[in-house]
Amino acid sequence: MTRFLALSNRKGGVGKSTVSVMLAHAAAAWARQRVLLMDLDTQCNASLMLLGGEGWEKASRAGHTIADYFYDRFDKVAGDESTYIVNNVGDVAHPRTARGRVSLLPGSQRLEDIQGELYLKQSKKDLHADAVSLLVRGRMKRLMRHFGMDYDLVILDCPPGLSFAAHAALDMADHIVVPFRPDFVSQFALDRVALLIERVENAEQLASIAFPDRRYACLPNCLTGAGHERLLIDQIALDHPLLTTRLPVLESIARAFDWDESKKTMEQKYTEALPHLRKLHTEVFSGGQMRAQSA
Amino acid sequence: MRNTKALSGAAQDAYFRRVLKAQATLSEEAREQVVRSLKRDIAQLRLRREPLPDGAIPNPPVAETRLAAAVAPSAQPDAPPAGTNFDPFSPNIVVLLRTAGRAAVLAALAAIDSQEQLRLLAREQRLSVAPNLTSLDELRGAILSAAERRIANRMAAAS
Repeated sequence: MTRFLALSNRKGGVGKSTVSVMLAHAAAAWARQRVLLMDLDTQCNASLMLLGGEGWEKASRAGHTIADYFYDRFDKVAGDESTYIVNNVGDVAHPRTARGRVSLLPGSQRLEDIQGELYLKQSKKDLHADAVSLLVRGRMKRLMRHFGMDYDLVILDCPPGLSFAAHAALDMADHIVVPFRPDFVSQFALDRVALLIERVENAEQLASIAFPDRRYACLPNCLTGAGHERLLIDQIALDHPLLTTRLPVLESIARAFDWDESKKTMEQKYTEALPHLRKLHTEVFSGGQMRAQSA
Repeated sequence: MRNTKALSGAAQDAYFRRVLKAQATLSEEAREQVVRSLKRDIAQLRLRREPLPDGAIPNPPVAETRLAAAVAPSAQPDAPPAGTNFDPFSPNIVVLLRTAGRAAVLAALAAIDSQEQLRLLAREQRLSVAPNLTSLDELRGAILSAAERRIANRMAAAS
């Protein structure tokens, strides 16, 4: 059964793409899963980490991006979506089997424009604006779900903003990891993304949902060890479920994503970040955090 | 024989007053305010017949315990300033206010009897207090107000 995991936060620069790629590698290498990473962010950072600049440009020129997929298939009932996928990406050595590999639906800088175009196209159908939004989101959701049959795990690397694609991803994800940097503004960003994920309107309504029933968990990232981080994490823990994994600022994580085509083991790639990644992988996938996809 | 005895009503009030009286820096008015808050929130307490020895009291609050275990070795919290045992990050005033209420915050701040340390705590916990406050009670009140404003700000934004 395919599981859909989204990495989301309305704040930028919190590590969504980095953690998406790390979890994709971990699930493929350690759990031997067939993993698809869907890059919904127009910055395309996850795509650049997994393909390099030239590889991403090649995919982009060939029309193998998420923007092309949404645009081409929006009005079609079915089709072979695998043509948009780039297989066996990244610089972690994978086994010569279908399992244990990472595939990518590359991101596109045109995704925002495409969403606008799709909205305008649908709005000509004489529908109310809200109905058009729902229609576009719903169709994107179905298009993303198409990949469910071919993969064990689909990771949705969401953009910071609230595009149709981001809404669709949050709607359909079985579980959502919300990375954050413990700073003052992050508290607000977490509160807001939590309202969106749980489909409630204010803090009181959110508080009425018990932590185990929530679809998301927050991941403190880029920790430096400063005392104020501890304060903020404790404050955030009152309102939001937190993973026990903490990702510190590590040179090895930054270095791991310098583009390099030579294949390497997980140990060689992540060096001293490896224990943190192991803990994160275990917690997200084995600790009951990921719920099976609902029908 | 049971190791604890229950206190309620007048006996409980007297106990609160006795404990708070030991905080020399707390004014009578502040003391009564704390007692009123505690009376409102606590129906009954159980007192140890044999007090625990120093150092045997479990220190960190629940939230902190849960999180501290998970902090990576390379991300340990700041050490308190050299030459003092004072930790400006403890207690977490906002967390204490939300979990235990105003009285608990005032009681915790009452245990800090230096203006310098109160100001350090306020600064490190990003709780803005006016620079012209001179009395300890004013400072404590300002810290409490700043924490209340922080919470109100966040609640307002999450809507």
